[in-house]
Amino acid sequence: MDLLFYSLLLQLSSIAAIAFFTENKKASAAAHLLLAAGLITGFITTLTAVLTSNFILKDMNVFGISTSLFRFDALGLYFLCIIQLVAIPTTIYSYSYLKHYIEKGKSVKSNLVFYAVLLTSTQMVVVSNHAILFLICWEVMSTSAYLGMIFEKEKKDVQTGAFYYLVMSHAVVFLLYVFFFFLHNQTNSWLFSNFHLSPDAGKLFIILYALGLIAFGMKAGFMPFHFWLPRAHPIAPTVFSAFLSGIIIKMGIYGILRTFQFLNPTPEWLGWLVLSVSMISAIYGVWYALAQHDIKRLLAYHSVENIGIIGIGIGVGFIGSAYHSVPIQVLGFGGALLHTLNHAVFKSLLFVGSGVIYQNLGTRNIELMGGLVHYGKYFVVLFLIGSIAISGIPPFNGFISEFIIYNSFFTTAKELKNYYPLLMLISAVGLAFVGGLAVACFTKINSIMFLGKERKEVKHFNISFYEYLSLGIFALLCVAIGFYPQPFIVIVNKVLTEGFIPAASSFSLLNINWYLLSIIFISASVGIILIFLWKRSIQKKYGRRISSAWGCGYEGLNPRMQYTASSYADELNEISKTALVYHKKVDKQKEIFPLKGKFESHSEDLADNKILLPAFRNFSSFVSRIRFLSYTDIRYYIAFILIIITIYSLIAFLWK
Amino acid sequence: MQNVLSILFCLSLFYLAVTPRVKAYVAVLRFQGILLTILLMLPFIEQFSIFAVILPATLFIIKVIVIPRYINKIILELDIKRTIEPTIQQFNFLLLVIFSFIIIFLAASILSQSTEIEIIPFASGFAAVAVGIFIIIFRKKLIIHVAGFLVLENGIFLFGTAVASELPIMIEIGVLLDVFVVVFLMGIALNRISSTFEGFDVTILRRLKD
Repeated sequence: MDLLFYSLLLQLSSIAAIAFFTENKKASAAAHLLLAAGLITGFITTLTAVLTSNFILKDMNVFGISTSLFRFDALGLYFLCIIQLVAIPTTIYSYSYLKHYIEKGKSVKSNLVFYAVLLTSTQMVVVSNHAILFLICWEVMSTSAYLGMIFEKEKKDVQTGAFYYLVMSHAVVFLLYVFFFFLHNQTNSWLFSNFHLSPDAGKLFIILYALGLIAFGMKAGFMPFHFWLPRAHPIAPTVFSAFLSGIIIKMGIYGILRTFQFLNPTPEWLGWLVLSVSMISAIYGVWYALAQHDIKRLLAYHSVENIGIIGIGIGVGFIGSAYHSVPIQVLGFGGALLHTLNHAVFKSLLFVGSGVIYQNLGTRNIELMGGLVHYGKYFVVLFLIGSIAISGIPPFNGFISEFIIYNSFFTTAKELKNYYPLLMLISAVGLAFVGGLAVACFTKINSIMFLGKERKEVKHFNISFYEYLSLGIFALLCVAIGFYPQPFIVIVNKVLTEGFIPAASSFSLLNINWYLLSIIFISASVGIILIFLWKRSIQKKYGRRISSAWGCGYEGLNPRMQYTASSYADELNEISKTALVYHKKVDKQKEIFPLKGKFESHSEDLADNKILLPAFRNFSSFVSRIRFLSYTDIRYYIAFILIIITIYSLIAFLWK
Repeated sequence: MQNVLSILFCLSLFYLAVTPRVKAYVAVLRFQGILLTILLMLPFIEQFSIFAVILPATLFIIKVIVIPRYINKIILELDIKRTIEPTIQQFNFLLLVIFSFIIIFLAASILSQSTEIEIIPFASGFAAVAVGIFIIIFRKKLIIHVAGFLVLENGIFLFGTAVASELPIMIEIGVLLDVFVVVFLMGIALNRISSTFEGFDVTILRRLKD
């Protein structure tokens, strides 16, 4: 496994390459080449290790030195695999993304350094076995992501958004310190492999769970703590927002799964708590997404939704753990793990796609786009694949993982009987509802962005080879996992059986007949293609009538008459108006022949605008009340110090 | 002997509390420096070693020669007024000092029941810390603040000799160096401030507020 560390060194050597070349263009090319080479070597090494079950759980040799700082267990290697797999196309895209900035004359070197550091530290996080090493890597990961985020630091919203992220990551690290110190205190060890606590620990067990779930949940973006996602994602450079959404928030999921590994079996109520929080995250995440106009903000809310879906799987797994039921755990955690991979793939695809659009149009506002299908046909197809996958529609990968999670509901109902069937039915309906809203949301952006007429003049729409390559790899993965899930299921199953779930060999994800699914998908697709060809032949024979989109038979159509994104989503947003803080302002004219009208709609985040910001405002007004103590004269401060010392010594005297 | 020196030290503090002259402050600092040097030499009269001389020697050079001279030089160069500009009446200040002395000596005698300390050096060191802080609080002039810091530091020194087992000599050397640097920096700051503001009151420094 030394090769893995060599690959990390190869990635880090890109920093040296950046320093070596003075010219931005050469530095970028060399650095991306080294990064890609390092990632590919690393990915191949990790994949072979996972496939051959070459796990190292104790005292491994790193460059000939025996150390317990690292551990290559199944869970860590699985996440390492995801990181490297997603990072390769992202790096390819990064090359073409930064090229735009180089052409504008902006220095991209610092950004590249942060990207390289971010990549390596993220990979280190999942293989570290020592708690302190983990925290260091975690902190380096968070900080380098922040530094990369403020690429366009002269903009005001970039500063605010990045600040949200920074505050969040500091809160997370603080909680994690407490978490690991408690664990160290209980187990007398800093090593992950030695951390284990059972519910007999009483209150501490609950406190530890609370700490771990809040800290990692904040990073992952579960609903009450999701406030940083829609702020930080839109303002980050596309490469970083793709990596942030694809990988960094998955580190929160990794942390939660590790917490489960340290502390099991879980009490049942915790499973229900996680399940309901995740359900709320999923439903409201997608609902908020529906009300957005900014494409990256919309995708950020979709991350909340998908994290919620992963959380649902974890919640079901927790319930299974409480009842010591292997099938429930395997299906719940298996669904969560596979969805982690799937979300990383299709969300990165969509983010890269949104980055391409932003580069070409210079706007992220969906209302100003339209008719892009006439400019980049293949690009639209690739984006559509990602959209279908994220909505969980067969035959792409999003469906496979959601299928496992649905299965886990039904298995729980079957295994636990009692009142469970009813609850699980509600959960299944909830998940289906999420899927339905996701479909609504993605039909909205696909139809508004790509179809119809252009609302704003499109000056140029060029997509470079590297962008196509990057999008193509992601889309290929979406299709591959969807049509042929067998090998991916084997890997996930291996992760579950190798030390994650105790005694997991009695039930396996492979009990589901995945080949049958593949056959159904392939035959259905073949059928659709045949129908399409038939349609083409009919069109050739009888001709085809073409009229403008959204025209509804009206001839003199202009772009302003088109259906807009807000009107598309309006009906659905009206339903949950209060929770979405959905405002509409209609400026109606009273005259018979109105000249000018105005319509405005926007949605604010409930947690952000109604809870978080007022709380901070109150706190700061409270703090400013004690400003009467703030003098400009140093003598007052010394007097205060003296008074405090006197009070302390008095207390020390009297305290016996 | 140690007690005698400590009591002399306390008397010098009382003198500080009543004198209105800047020069007297420098003289007291010098006097306290000599007292501390003798105090440090005391244990080594019986058994002489080169290393044991180093600390008293540095103390003597810094506290008795370098710092007072430096302060005198600043006073001359910047033409500082020779009075100390107190913010409360000298008599009230003396009362405050006496009051704090009583409390500190009482506290020291209570403490001595539970831990092994020598009451008089301990309490006088403590008192010097208190008086140093009082000087800083109730005097306006910046140069007197420097003197206040130095008195405070002398107090810590005396304190250190009283609890020698708990406070190793290395720390005392560190503190010595610290204060030396502080005095030095304050001197530089005073020079700078004199070129920007007229006068050396801390009240003027309010204008530096951001």
